Amino acid sequence: MSHGEEAHLDDRITLDADGGALFRGFAIAGVAGLGGAALLGMSDTAKLQRAYLVAFMYVLSVALGALWFVAIQHLTNAKWSVAVRRVAEILASNMLLVAALSLGVVVPMLAGSSDLYVWLDRARVEQDHILHHKAAYLNIQFFMVRWFLYFGFWIWLGRRFFKLSVQQDKEGGAEISSSLQRISAPSMIVYALTLTFCAFDLIMSLDAMWYSTMFGVYYFAGCVLAGYSTLGLALMWVQSKGRLSQSVNEEHYHDIGKMMFAFIIFWAYVGFSQFMLIWYGDIPEETHWFHWRFEGDWKVVSGLLLGAHFVVPFFGLMSRHVKRNKRSLAFWAVWILAVHYLDLFWLVYPNGSGDVPFGAVDILCWIGVLGIFGAGAIWRAQKVNLIPTGDPRLADSLAFENV
Amino acid sequence: MTDSSENIPVVKEPEQVHGLLAEYETPQQLISAARQVRDAGYSRWDSYSPFPVHGLDPAMGIRPTVLPWIVFVAGLCGGTFALFFQWWTSTTDYPWIVSGKPFFSIPANIPITFELTVLSAALTCFTSMLLLNRLPLPAHPLDRIRRFARVTDDRFFILIQASDPKFDARETAELLARTGPRGAVETVMEDTHSSATLPRGVVFGLLIVGSAAIVPFALTTLARVSTSTSTRFHIIPDMDWQQKFKAQRQNSFFADQRAMRLDVPGTVAQGELQDDDHYYHGKVNGSFAKTFPPQVEISDQTMARGQERFGIYCTPCHGDDGSGQGMVHLRAKSLMQGTWVPPADLRQDTLRYKSVGELFDGISRGVRNMPGYARQVDVADRWAIVLYLRALQHAQGARIEDIPESERKGLE
Repeated sequence: MSHGEEAHLDDRITLDADGGALFRGFAIAGVAGLGGAALLGMSDTAKLQRAYLVAFMYVLSVALGALWFVAIQHLTNAKWSVAVRRVAEILASNMLLVAALSLGVVVPMLAGSSDLYVWLDRARVEQDHILHHKAAYLNIQFFMVRWFLYFGFWIWLGRRFFKLSVQQDKEGGAEISSSLQRISAPSMIVYALTLTFCAFDLIMSLDAMWYSTMFGVYYFAGCVLAGYSTLGLALMWVQSKGRLSQSVNEEHYHDIGKMMFAFIIFWAYVGFSQFMLIWYGDIPEETHWFHWRFEGDWKVVSGLLLGAHFVVPFFGLMSRHVKRNKRSLAFWAVWILAVHYLDLFWLVYPNGSGDVPFGAVDILCWIGVLGIFGAGAIWRAQKVNLIPTGDPRLADSLAFENV
Repeated sequence: MTDSSENIPVVKEPEQVHGLLAEYETPQQLISAARQVRDAGYSRWDSYSPFPVHGLDPAMGIRPTVLPWIVFVAGLCGGTFALFFQWWTSTTDYPWIVSGKPFFSIPANIPITFELTVLSAALTCFTSMLLLNRLPLPAHPLDRIRRFARVTDDRFFILIQASDPKFDARETAELLARTGPRGAVETVMEDTHSSATLPRGVVFGLLIVGSAAIVPFALTTLARVSTSTSTRFHIIPDMDWQQKFKAQRQNSFFADQRAMRLDVPGTVAQGELQDDDHYYHGKVNGSFAKTFPPQVEISDQTMARGQERFGIYCTPCHGDDGSGQGMVHLRAKSLMQGTWVPPADLRQDTLRYKSVGELFDGISRGVRNMPGYARQVDVADRWAIVLYLRALQHAQGARIEDIPESERKGLE
């Protein structure tokens, strides 16, 4: 409910050419990062593929988190978020670029490399009883079908939210809002399924013997965290350029912070639920996945993950004042984006050897993929309003106050 | 709006006045009025509204509540207590092994710790909120103001109490009149008729419910300290008496009266079809094989495996060198065990000239006092042991000519 001051829209709401510097920065980082990674990783392509997979799953999680944000706001007919929704729509509409980036994972698979996924190795599949059993699902043809379904759906949904919302800027009216609300409900179901199976395919099947039905939810928790953190930082950057100075205020940051806090707990809840069932059941084919992560140097990484991804931000983000202060919220957003990388690294790398092979290739891949994604987002942001001016709920969002 | 001088009420006996009440039509009016009262420096006053009004807290100058800290501490206490109590019950009070886990297993304790943290925080939040707001309040002077009833529907009110140090019947009334209330500022009198305590019926009701709540605990306690001759009470009888047959019991349904059923004759379990005589039994055409079966790869790797398995299963009796002087044998000798049959010296000729098939058979099914090792050591490993044993026998009886030319120098 909103009372008090009427909505004010004397803000500057277009980025115009002010994103140019950051666009160039992102683009250069993207090209340099990927080029450097390719040069440096040439000698060890298996390592390069893993590094690239972590980086790719990272940007995918940012895009999926933003997509989920837009969908859930429409689904719940949310008013508070209208002022910040366009930035998330821009991030989510970038899905075509993410699909292009996924070629870095898919092309080696099509070329027959089984460095990452043992289930691509025909000889191993013939010999191994379990792999043979799973071959009906884990085979390259069916995988490609699923890959088209995942990205086809995400690209379509992201584009649809973005295009109709931009169209509403010009036309106004509530029809577009209600049509987006209608598609968001069934889309949410498809979103849940595609995200779950994509996480199964791209991360869980790295260890094709292991399975956890909760794995998709675990990846989803990371997606939402990455999405909200990126959204918060992007808004702060936009405001530092003198845009949306009054439209977006501490009330909106407060809500973004609340969702970050909530999903910090959700991440730990899901991660622990997955762990406890396997720990209690104590079946070797399930426990080895955790043993790999509790042995050698991975023990330190696992401990770090628990502390830095849950305990520290849990207490850090608890206070209302932290969430309402732009600087402290920025600190925690950066923190979450950093530990989210650690989380994905922890999911992808361990293979039982106990070594933690973190190196320059990992950093270069991450910078490169993120640079491309960021450049794409800013390129798009320069062309549209940074706020959905045609949304009938905008006035409510501008005057929104937390109790 | 009416003229402000008309709004000033006639002041009655000062000690009977509870405060002054002003009514507003919209939340915006309430907020702006609250700002004026706040800026005038009043401390004992309150706003009333049918729903939470955003921005009212700062407009009234209310300091942030201490409630979050109370809830935080309650959550910590709940979590700590849950963890401590589980530790105490499972390690000290009643240690009990569950699923082979350690007595104190953090993962198993997390769900209860989590629940108790949330429960204690939530209950504390609810009760502290009531207490901080001095609720429940059975009677209030405002209850007697007729138009105040609409506060639950669509009207907003501000009441400044007479007990406020800044309260002055005339000045305060003028202040409220300036804030633009609807209708006149009304004087609220102290309620001398109804008592501020709970109604008697409510008190009795609470007492009855409270007493009834003790009954289950009292009965449980009584049952724990007393004995009884009546049979045990079964809460879930079909769990205590289950419709099933246990192993080694009788079952009249079958002709042979066995509850456990035997395999159909000719059944072979998966992986148990040992149809390769040479590999599984060390025999070719009924007699012991002179050669290793084709499945056994004669390599350094197999040799190393054989040496390792030999070290685990054979050396305790036969010794590292196969001489029969293993630790078990030495111990038996030192205890002067009369019935002890010494383990064989594996280097003796009778064994050196035995075929590999016979050695394999000996390991698998045992020889005299030595039990068979087929259950502990799988087929491939038994063949690896045979391979190593052959090498060991050869090495233990080796002559200088057997050693390659290049190695010989160091030994001579």
